[in-house]
Amino acid sequence: MSQKTLNRREFLKLTAVGVAVAAGTRAITSTKASSNAPKGKHQWAMVIDQSKCIGCGYCTLACQAHNDVNPDIQWNKVNEVDMVAGKHVFLPRPCMHCEKAPCVEVCPVEASYYREDGIVMMDYERCIGCRYCQIACPYEARSFNWEKFTGENPAVPEWGTPEVERRPRGVPEKCSFCYQRIDRGLALGLKPGTDADASPACVVVCPTGARIFGDLNDPESNVSKALRENPSYRLRENLGTGPRVYYLPAVPAKEA
Amino acid sequence: MLKRLRSKLVITPWMVWLGLMGVILLSGAIAGIMVFWKGLGITNLTDRVPWGLWITIDLSSIALGAGAFSLCAGVYLFGLKRYQPIARTATFVGLIGYTMATLALILDIGKPERFWHSMVYWNTHSLLWEVTMCVILYLTVLIFETMPILANLEWLRKRLPKIASMMERVHHYAPILAIIGLGLSSLHQSSLGATYGVIKARPFWFKPEMSVLFMLSAIVGGISLTLFATMLSSRLTKKAKINDVLIERVAQFVGYLLIGYFYFRAWDALSTTYTYDPGRSEGLHFLTKGPFAFNFWIVEMLLGMIVPMILLLHKPTRMNRFWRMVALLLVAAGVVAFRWDTNITGQLVLMSYIPGAAITYTSYRPSLIEILSGAAIIAYGLTAFSLGVKYLRVVDHSLVETEHETVKVEATEPVRV
Repeated sequence: MSQKTLNRREFLKLTAVGVAVAAGTRAITSTKASSNAPKGKHQWAMVIDQSKCIGCGYCTLACQAHNDVNPDIQWNKVNEVDMVAGKHVFLPRPCMHCEKAPCVEVCPVEASYYREDGIVMMDYERCIGCRYCQIACPYEARSFNWEKFTGENPAVPEWGTPEVERRPRGVPEKCSFCYQRIDRGLALGLKPGTDADASPACVVVCPTGARIFGDLNDPESNVSKALRENPSYRLRENLGTGPRVYYLPAVPAKEA
Repeated sequence: MLKRLRSKLVITPWMVWLGLMGVILLSGAIAGIMVFWKGLGITNLTDRVPWGLWITIDLSSIALGAGAFSLCAGVYLFGLKRYQPIARTATFVGLIGYTMATLALILDIGKPERFWHSMVYWNTHSLLWEVTMCVILYLTVLIFETMPILANLEWLRKRLPKIASMMERVHHYAPILAIIGLGLSSLHQSSLGATYGVIKARPFWFKPEMSVLFMLSAIVGGISLTLFATMLSSRLTKKAKINDVLIERVAQFVGYLLIGYFYFRAWDALSTTYTYDPGRSEGLHFLTKGPFAFNFWIVEMLLGMIVPMILLLHKPTRMNRFWRMVALLLVAAGVVAFRWDTNITGQLVLMSYIPGAAITYTSYRPSLIEILSGAAIIAYGLTAFSLGVKYLRVVDHSLVETEHETVKVEATEPVRV
């Protein structure tokens, strides 16, 4: 083997390694190793009081009407979980709007993203339908549109009228904390959590007031007060996802 | 006239082969069109098992295409130049594997018309983004790497000799392409495992070994498939010219690699038996005692690792071409079984979000549409490889000298045994 050939190959190798190191360093420094929801002025959260929930499922129906959801899909699923002192205990499950949401982390195209106010949003126009978010979500909060929802929505008009567009076939969808109601309400000078027109549909329709909605940044909001005064828990807290949906247990913690 | 036509219409095994592949491809194409037209609702995929047969085909073809980067790295970076003709076959197998994976993904995603979004909208946190980027870039590298092979097409040589010679010259950049290929492959082969490994919600997957296992199994399976395909073609056609000594040596190397793969796979599975870990223990139970026990113990462990390990490391069986081929095919099948078991088991064990709720199970069986279109993807791979052997001299160990001008390898140099 001639000296010249060797030199050229060595040079090629060195150049490639050099370029790779430079590119790698750049990529590492410019990339946040992990993401967190940005902290905006408002931090919306929901508190669900299991001692008040009677499992009527109105929340699911109102959600399906206001968000024009396929009747086969539930953004907000009410589970019967237990019996305490002869009473049924329910656990309604919307999207947790995690502070460190696995779905946002894994989405290859950033179709799932955080809003400034902590809401985990879906860009249905950008999603490619790979379903990695469904694989990653610890709460089964996402439903895929296996088929296009074409027919009439049976929840309309009895439970409300659609406020957002129907999602296309081939993308997953989930609860959005009724962002459209929050945004419209704020624009009208209303207070989400207090004014019905600015609060999520499930919160408004709940006949027993089991759902509380509000701003965690406001110490006087309903959610802040409820969390201060009562023991609460979140779902699969050990995963470190930091859900923004809190539950007040049906029985006080010390008795349970 | 008619007589001449009839005399030409002798049915050869080659025609039967192409006809068979044609039927599978056609039915798969119809199934594929149905999927694009009607949507994924006609599959058996559900919200609980959103990744099924197609994803397994995708994972497997990327794994079995890994011979390309492993052997190219060996030949061009570690100086094992005499194995260049095998790396050449591996590159072609790699190109086929990666295009198969792309086809499977296009079928699988809900919005195939938006596939380009992954190139435009970057989420650098996402392992799937990284895998997609690497696969696209590596596919480009593979296209360059196969150019000298494609230049062998008779038609191209006759009609467009300038382009053919230009494509042949790409070969001079083989070392640099091998570096890029090694980098990209190391990234996405292990990230494919990490795609599962980072999912904290599913304890059966959530472990760092996932990337190691995917990487190792890909190297073992990829080299094995290339060797098997090489040997099979040399049995079936005179167009394939092989130097069996080379294959035998690489096969022995596969035997040693299998020890490593077996060690990691066995240790990874068995180390989770020590304590009860919700979700993970159930997954292990699925593998070792449940519906996947046959796959795990027999296909993966016994036939996929232990038997070929013995066949490839025991000299008399390795020297016997039949047993060597059996061993290599078993390794490749074992790797496919590993991908299937990993992908499906992790989804069938359901961790409830309800506090204190028991773990439940779901099931998945691919629908006819999934099977037909999946079979067509495999048929595409087989057809492409057989065409390559017939028309592009993909398996031709006598080609070394003419192609490798700059490095001056002597093809006839005896291999020390």
